[in-house]
Amino acid sequence: MNAATLPAVDERADPDTGKLGMWIFLASEVLFFGGLFIAYLYGRTTWPQGWAAASRHTDVVLGTVNTALLLTSSAIVALAVACAEDETRQRWTAGLLWATATLGAAFLAIKGIEWHADWREHLTPTASFAIRVAGAQQFFALYFVMTGLHAVHMAIGVGVLAALAHARAHGRAWARAHHVEVAALYWHFVDLVWIFLYPLLYLVERHG
Amino acid sequence: MADDSIHSRDFNRSARAIAAAWFALIALMLASLGSAYLKLGPWNMMAGLAIAAVKSAIVAWLFMRLRESGALIRLVALAGLGVWFILLALSGVDYETRHVTRSTLQAPQQLQRSSAP
Repeated sequence: MNAATLPAVDERADPDTGKLGMWIFLASEVLFFGGLFIAYLYGRTTWPQGWAAASRHTDVVLGTVNTALLLTSSAIVALAVACAEDETRQRWTAGLLWATATLGAAFLAIKGIEWHADWREHLTPTASFAIRVAGAQQFFALYFVMTGLHAVHMAIGVGVLAALAHARAHGRAWARAHHVEVAALYWHFVDLVWIFLYPLLYLVERHG
Repeated sequence: MADDSIHSRDFNRSARAIAAAWFALIALMLASLGSAYLKLGPWNMMAGLAIAAVKSAIVAWLFMRLRESGALIRLVALAGLGVWFILLALSGVDYETRHVTRSTLQAPQQLQRSSAP
């Protein structure tokens, strides 16, 4: 057998291995966030008035802007994956990854502004909590845990996407298309979690 | 040359699907926002969750490429969701059938203070 008949390393490697690993991790993440969603459903059915009163104190404008930012970032990272796989458009990938990371950072900045306002309005679940309806405090306890854990995931995603963007811009081999796709899967999952957090935290009953 | 045009067609198709999905996601987000201002009772939550389910299906199917994934990856995705539903069902049975005596810790503290003489 001569060298020419040996399969190339890239062809031997199963391109689905990384994707499968990420999907298994994301399935475990479904259960990680899933427990919190179950706690939410329990609270909402136990204290419906408190939940509605508390949700009206969340900032629906900033929440909606953040939702739009995240949905847009997901679309852009999907485009980055398509570009990475297309020989004639590979040069766009780094820019699109930077754009995604920037939108993620903007999301985190807005979330920080929201948390600061929540703190000022005594919406942190402490003895000086502002809303005098049973269950409202429990809502905000869960609100901070869920949005906090989501923000941690976002921060990791921003870091990974920025590192990939930097590596692609400098021609690093590890930033190849398969790895961009795996990182994008993680980013889309963070988006998926927010898709459910948005109506559950910001839109309980706005008409009251 | 022929290869290039095939690649270009594939890319254009992907880009069009991504753009259409983005428009649909933003429209659904606005529908979800609007529904919260309608008096629907318990259907407020159902509407919010149903719209979120459609949005997440779009993200999973198109952006996360479940549409073109093999059986193994689809199975893993379904397994995560399936196990969560089992957790949800078992927790629900527990909460529905157990008599709950609330501890003082569970009562909002500012309510206790405001009701104190």
